[in-house]
Amino acid sequence: MSREQYQDRLSELRTEVVLLAELVLERYEAAVEAAEAGDIRQADQIVRQDDEINRWYLELEGECIDLIARHQPVASDLRLITASFKIITDLERIGDLATNLAGRTEYDAGIHPAVDIRSLGMTAAEMADTAVEAYERDDADACRTVAADDDALDSDCEATTEAIIRDLITERAASDATKSADDGVAERADSPAAVEKTTRGLLTVRDIERVGDHAVNIAARTLYMLDNNEALLY
Amino acid sequence: MSETDVTPDTGSTATTTTAGESDERVREAWTEYRAAGQTKLSVDDLDVWYGDDHALKDVSMDIPSESVTALIGPSGCGKSTFLRCLNRMNDRIKAARVEGSVEFDGTEVYDPNANLVELRKRIGMVFQSPNPFPKSIRENISYGPRKHGDINKGLLARLFGRDDTEAEAELVERALKQAALWDEVNDRLDDNALGLSGGQQQRLCIARCLAVDPDVILMDEPASALDPIATSKIEDLVEELAEEYTVVIVTHNMQQAARISDQTAVFLTGGELIEYDDTEKIFENPESQRVEDYITGKFG
Repeated sequence: MSREQYQDRLSELRTEVVLLAELVLERYEAAVEAAEAGDIRQADQIVRQDDEINRWYLELEGECIDLIARHQPVASDLRLITASFKIITDLERIGDLATNLAGRTEYDAGIHPAVDIRSLGMTAAEMADTAVEAYERDDADACRTVAADDDALDSDCEATTEAIIRDLITERAASDATKSADDGVAERADSPAAVEKTTRGLLTVRDIERVGDHAVNIAARTLYMLDNNEALLY
Repeated sequence: MSETDVTPDTGSTATTTTAGESDERVREAWTEYRAAGQTKLSVDDLDVWYGDDHALKDVSMDIPSESVTALIGPSGCGKSTFLRCLNRMNDRIKAARVEGSVEFDGTEVYDPNANLVELRKRIGMVFQSPNPFPKSIRENISYGPRKHGDINKGLLARLFGRDDTEAEAELVERALKQAALWDEVNDRLDDNALGLSGGQQQRLCIARCLAVDPDVILMDEPASALDPIATSKIEDLVEELAEEYTVVIVTHNMQQAARISDQTAVFLTGGELIEYDDTEKIFENPESQRVEDYITGKFG
């Protein structure tokens, strides 16, 4: 293979990673919307489409391995391939988290009221989008922005988690009071439905927070790719 | 121009150079580079001419002991010329003129009174093509030490002029073991060395070099004529030798440099040393755009 073809393959790898990212983020945003709207049909479609992301991820992984095995890349070429190799794993995981959100919508009778899924979900989506743009456009500053945004997302997720727990405790106290007055006729806070609602709320927040973490990973690998800077990796 | 933060222990630099910045800027960054370890060879402002051809320009670098230093670059860049300057092999070329300084353990190699036989004993050389003498394996090893008087030191030799075979046997075994060849040839030491395979012949040449107990081993493309298995044996050997010796190796094979060296010097066309740094740094994130282009195959 000529040097020109090799360079073409490197540039094509980058394009393919960006296209995979676009598909993954589209699915993730659709999952957030489906969860917010309780749109079971759309959620079901997202769950069924996850295989497509997995197949594409494996193809790109194979391409990275082939480029390393056959060309022994060094310097910026090596950093591009290794960064891409890690970034596609983060993208595949975001795809899985989108499937989790969608799966929960399919079986859930509505989101926990303490979870502002649009606000949290879209913040994480914007972070991932910024990280992918940084990868596409060689933008080191944008990588650092993503890392800074993650602190705010983490803080919002933590506050939401606290609100869910507080809600559970409040409901428990209320149901205990009702029980003593009404001898157990009202729904208890530890009923299977209530536990399910709390658990799903907590899992949703955790998944969104993880999307943010994957966005930071993408930014960190991109910064390494651009400047050999490992500052965001730790 | 940005400031460059150089950490003396590791030599790693904190800034990068983009395309278009001058080689001079890059040179300023790496000339401060100090490889880890004690300096074995210190080269200062070295220039070499072959007639009117200025083959090596103003090269300065320190080579640390007990490590592998790789010299890479395109054909005609001066890396082999540089290697040959380290033990004054260029003296054999009449048209060659050398200016500058090479210090070996603090002693000037180009001192007019330098003992060249002793110098080349302490700074040995292994060439691209294996070049064993058309003699037995044993004689190939013992020839050098015998010539230097390192074998016949025993009573028999002194009184009767007889060969000290025990000393010779010990020396031959030690050198062949160091060169990872003993197990393959110990039952045929009196066979002609030319009957060995190419890879074995090259290891025999390394053993021959080791037999006179050098400090530094210079290698000029030692594996370029060998197949992958023989190459791999030479590479393993180089890494082992670096635990005890200072190895300087010229190679066209950049992956080989990346695999086996501790620090790498990149020479580019025109006889200039463009960048010298830890091998990891050179192959992950070189300062010079020209070096980046060369090692990624975009130039040269």
